[in-house]
Amino acid sequence: MHLRTRKIIDRSATGIGILAIVVMTAALVVLLAPIFANGTGAFVFRGTAEFRKYQSDRFDRGDREVLTTEKETLRQVRQPVYDLLHKFEHQLKNDDDLDARFGAEFPKLKREVYRLIGPPPGEALSRLERDEYGATRWDRALVQADSIVHVQEDRGLDSHGFSLKVEGPRAARYKGTSLEPMFGYVEMHLAELLRPQWTFYPQFLIDNPQDANFFGGIGPAVLGTIYLTLGAILFAVPMGVITAIYLVEYAGQGRFISLLRTCISTLAGVPSIVFGLFGLAFFINTIHVSPSKSVLAGSLTLGLLILPTIIRASEEALRAVPLAYKEAALSLGAGQWRTILTVILPAALPGILTGIIISMGRAAGETAPIIFTAAVSVGLGVKPWEVFTSPTQALSWNIYNVSTEHEAVDQIRHVQYGMVLTLVVLVLALNLTAVLLRARITRRLSG
Amino acid sequence: MASSAVAERPKKMTTSVPTTRPTSRSPETPQTPAVAGEVSHVAAEGFHVLYGGRPAVKSVTMNIPPGRVTAIIGPSGCGKSTFLRAINRMNDLIPGCTVQGRLALDGQDLYVPQLDVVALRRKVGMVFQKPNPFPKSIFDNVAYGPRIHGISSRTHLSEIVEQSLSRAGLWDEVKDRQHDNALRLSGGQQQRLCIARALAVDPEVLLMDEPASALDPRSTARVEELIDELSGQYTIIIVTHNMQQAARVSELTAFFYEGELIEFGPTKEIFTKPRQEKTEAYITGRFG
Amino acid sequence: MTAFGQTSGKISIRRQGGSLVLGQRADRLRHAVALLGRLILLAIASSSALAVLFIFYFIIRDAIPFFHDNGLREFFTSTHWYPSNAAAPEFGALAIFYGTGMVTVGAIVVAVPLGVAAAVCLSDVLPFSVRQWVKPTVEILAAIPSVVYGFFALVVFAPLLQDKGGQALSVATWLLFGPLAALAILVVADVSCGRLRERFRNPARAAVMILLTLAALAGLWKLSAALAAIHISSGTNALNASIILGVMALPTIVSVSEDALTAAGRELREGSYALGATRAETILSVIIPAASSGIMAAVILGIMRAIGETMVVLMASGNAAQIPQPWYNFLSPVRTMTATIVSDMGEADQTTGSSRYHVLFAMALCLLVVSFLANLASEWVVRRTVAKISAVRGTGGGDAASRPQGFMRRVWSWIGG
Repeated sequence: MHLRTRKIIDRSATGIGILAIVVMTAALVVLLAPIFANGTGAFVFRGTAEFRKYQSDRFDRGDREVLTTEKETLRQVRQPVYDLLHKFEHQLKNDDDLDARFGAEFPKLKREVYRLIGPPPGEALSRLERDEYGATRWDRALVQADSIVHVQEDRGLDSHGFSLKVEGPRAARYKGTSLEPMFGYVEMHLAELLRPQWTFYPQFLIDNPQDANFFGGIGPAVLGTIYLTLGAILFAVPMGVITAIYLVEYAGQGRFISLLRTCISTLAGVPSIVFGLFGLAFFINTIHVSPSKSVLAGSLTLGLLILPTIIRASEEALRAVPLAYKEAALSLGAGQWRTILTVILPAALPGILTGIIISMGRAAGETAPIIFTAAVSVGLGVKPWEVFTSPTQALSWNIYNVSTEHEAVDQIRHVQYGMVLTLVVLVLALNLTAVLLRARITRRLSG
Repeated sequence: MASSAVAERPKKMTTSVPTTRPTSRSPETPQTPAVAGEVSHVAAEGFHVLYGGRPAVKSVTMNIPPGRVTAIIGPSGCGKSTFLRAINRMNDLIPGCTVQGRLALDGQDLYVPQLDVVALRRKVGMVFQKPNPFPKSIFDNVAYGPRIHGISSRTHLSEIVEQSLSRAGLWDEVKDRQHDNALRLSGGQQQRLCIARALAVDPEVLLMDEPASALDPRSTARVEELIDELSGQYTIIIVTHNMQQAARVSELTAFFYEGELIEFGPTKEIFTKPRQEKTEAYITGRFG
Repeated sequence: MTAFGQTSGKISIRRQGGSLVLGQRADRLRHAVALLGRLILLAIASSSALAVLFIFYFIIRDAIPFFHDNGLREFFTSTHWYPSNAAAPEFGALAIFYGTGMVTVGAIVVAVPLGVAAAVCLSDVLPFSVRQWVKPTVEILAAIPSVVYGFFALVVFAPLLQDKGGQALSVATWLLFGPLAALAILVVADVSCGRLRERFRNPARAAVMILLTLAALAGLWKLSAALAAIHISSGTNALNASIILGVMALPTIVSVSEDALTAAGRELREGSYALGATRAETILSVIIPAASSGIMAAVILGIMRAIGETMVVLMASGNAAQIPQPWYNFLSPVRTMTATIVSDMGEADQTTGSSRYHVLFAMALCLLVVSFLANLASEWVVRRTVAKISAVRGTGGGDAASRPQGFMRRVWSWIGG
């Protein structure tokens, strides 16, 4: 082959390699960018007057005087809308012709308007909280307002056989009726109707979700994830570290040891969903650690899942302790156990901690093992003394739940993204700690 | 010949220190006139160390007197370190390591099954080739030994630490930073710290396995000075590949070659008029 | 005996004349305590082995009633999956096995070329300083929880596929096959004209290149046009799941392959360079063959990760228990074993003891057996690598022994993913 061609092939091979790295990095960026961009929206957003009202009613937050003044201002701005609605409703009752045209549609429209600016005092549509308040977030308000001001009309099928919808101003449909001015009013005065303000809502992390996550935060899920992770660690760390000590300090190369190692690597390879089924069949249905799903059963299952990781990390850390430390301790008359406890374990501690922290990240993010053993989609935060019997929410499971099984997945995207962001930040923070810890170990061992 | 003699020898020996030498010896059997009349502190008799059946120390017989500095020299791989580590049973750590013959401290055979290794190691301190302080503070390093032997009173511990560091000649340098990490000390200081750590349990015998080989010349000189200061108080056995060092610090010198003890006697004699050809060849630099 | 050992200072913990030998009772006690300690340790250490046996036992225990009542035939050969039909439930899992296989193959097709190329790049191309930045990328990709991948697949990627799927596919085709085709053209032109006489060589090569370029452009154009016309009816389908699973399996494959490539050693590379080989030739003809078993292990581990993954397939695959029409149609929704267990257990939970409950354990048993076999295979492959590397290095001494062992440990640490 031509030398020049060989060189070109050589460069192309390099190029393919670098392309692969770039694609991988791009995948990471593409994955994380929307999560960070939208996830922060759960914490920092333009909250409307409805948000402040809700926070005041529910959590007693905010300056009452200011809120009372704001309420009065809002009442004045909103009154024309309510008036127009009432007037039109009254006309509908008396005019059969009008009723035939708008009778079916108007109640829905009224509900949408109430969901935008909230119902007039004493006139909630149902007992659901989402019917007692208007749009709490400006971004949702804009979408809501758009669905009021505009209407989608069917225009048959498109060339692919899918239904074609065209947006048009709803005002055109109501032309000539007493309601017509309302659409223009809402469109013109949307900001005054809702008074959006930049809001920082850190309590998202601790507040209970209200009315199926339409309001409030993700407190119980955060708490549940913390419980499950700590529980798994409590269970897996002693077992894992002791197993590692045995493998390093006692075990030779016998057949039993190689069987033990095979078992550990098999355990590491068991699919996480199988752990979940095992947890259900063993911890709950056989030894009855709790009557049904509980934090305890979930922690045990997760602990089993991370056990191999902890064993391996500890084993590696223990093996990395210089033999010189052991020799020094023994030469001073320390017994084997004392040597392990006072010299080898402290020296291996950073390495073991790294393994533990990485396992914590894994336990926090796992979903499949807790579905049958611990996770529920609703409920309040679990009290510390209820962990043995009570199931819990958890970030990982609730992300799945609120983004697939929720009745209005589109309306609570900010909650979904907020949950995902919280989980990702939690896991990445744990991993970052591990990386920094590892860097410190490397530095210490080298100098 | 020596090996057959060993093969017949039962593991357990009498507990008295032998006063006469066995007669069936190879021609290289060392004569030890310098120590003939003295009490021996560490006594080996037909002592073998085997690694997985392969002998690393062969039929060594020597009496190391108390309160002196004894140097063991020889080319690398001659078994001198193995012999040294047999004295506080550090070879126990190596899988497949077995011994034959007899090695005694104060007349007590060290390889009887009931031996309390912990008590032995407390009597026989050790300093290693590379400084190996624990990744703890200077204070905790020195206090490690006393602590495991049951001393917990803080004042008592700090007295021991101060005394040991002073004996190791390190007190003035570190007294204001006893709670710094020991790994921040220089190599020479670390080695003296290790000596202080060994002294803190107040041993009778101090084994030193090439204690200066990883140090720069100045630190080496400081450690040698220290050995000199300590002689008389402790029985010091130092393994070195550096003949000048052996000549400088020791009163007695033993020459090991290929696992066997070739010659053992006063340092002056070994270096000026060695009896064995091999010793002379090694000392004059013809091999090693 | 110790009279000579007078201490100069006032402090001494030396026990004068203390005996070195324990009494018989103390000696027995010491041995008993040591043995007891060892036994306790052994008991705790074996509990992880016990856990594996327990997992097998309890999954098998709850799977047996299903096979006992329904036999094997329907489960493995039928594609009708209607466990909730109270009157006549059907438990044909073939379509579900097929779906698992399909997304796994798809994930491997995405992840292996990308992962191995990235691993080669990490081990042989990039300078150390850049590698320091790339490695955390791999680690972060590995650390992100699967439910987050699933969420991305469902909320970001699926709508994108649904709205702009055709265009995206055609753009991807150009980006992927364009450079590859250019490279192929170059090589083919050079090889085919290499034998010609010097005078004709350049013009001939130019002609061949122009011809091939035109052909390739035409082919790519047609392919991309065909793809652009595709309308994807549902964004949650086998393609979506495959791509996301592929990205998830990527870190495993990159790390294990990179370790294998690095373990091949500098001597091998220097030998090849010394003969005048370029880097690409060295990599392709020497390094990759030497590391092939390690790369194989990486692929097996990647497959395991894809098969065992639950949340991504649950959220991205569309969950339709059917064999796609035609069989290779990656744009149709499929259902996998893991997703079936999650989505059907919710209903079966109240019916503990029924076939609906036990069939899910039967499915878990299949998963367990597959992962167990894959695990054994990867361990076997790794052992072979170690043997091979040791053989290649021959008299390498301590280093040769320690490096493959370190490699093995790191592979093990990746098995868990």
